[in-house]
Amino acid sequence: MSDHPESSIIRVPLAGLLAWLIPGAGHLFLGERVRGLIFLGVITLTFWTGVAVGSVQGTVAPHSRRLWFVAQLGTGGNALAAYMLHRVVAPESAVASKPTASGNWLSAEVGVHYTGVAGLLNLLIIIDAVARADGSLRRGRRSEVAGGAT
Amino acid sequence: MSEGILASFTSAMNLGGVARLLLMLPLCLSVAIVYKTIRLPHVEDVPVAALRLWITVLGGMCAVGVGLWLLFELMV
Repeated sequence: MSDHPESSIIRVPLAGLLAWLIPGAGHLFLGERVRGLIFLGVITLTFWTGVAVGSVQGTVAPHSRRLWFVAQLGTGGNALAAYMLHRVVAPESAVASKPTASGNWLSAEVGVHYTGVAGLLNLLIIIDAVARADGSLRRGRRSEVAGGAT
Repeated sequence: MSEGILASFTSAMNLGGVARLLLMLPLCLSVAIVYKTIRLPHVEDVPVAALRLWITVLGGMCAVGVGLWLLFELMV
């Protein structure tokens, strides 16, 4: 990977975007392989465990659980895939949904918490990826200044 | 087989009793792992640190639960 400041400026938003789209991908892009794989495994597992517990109809419901859906969107690709699944499985409840699966409301609540927490954790991971990319940008500038001074 | 996998995501589990409390454990573990993976400079230190944080969080939550229960018993 190049150390030119121009390429580092591209790295910061790209790391953030990748980290949002696929949890851990931002760190993988920055060369932090183990860290990225841990994030990928933990966030994906947490999100889809929530969906499996509460069902996709009861968990990813943008109309009846708007704020939770915003939190779930933190997982990027996972949330979008789950919403697509929701639309395929129950298109009518994806458009104008009431809380579904009344008998399983408790499962849906647990599922929503899992998926929401996964999204919020991924926000922290995005911030970390951006900070690490920005740190490498600053290091690049510092070494450039130090190189210019000598 | 793919229908079976799909069905596991389209039908909710029946939770009751202890199961709903036990589901707190993996969620706390996820939070502990992510937090420690972000904070620690060396990834090798993550497993032990995350385990310690997990136990601390669970212990803290249990302590708060017992405290609130005792408060409830005293007030009612």
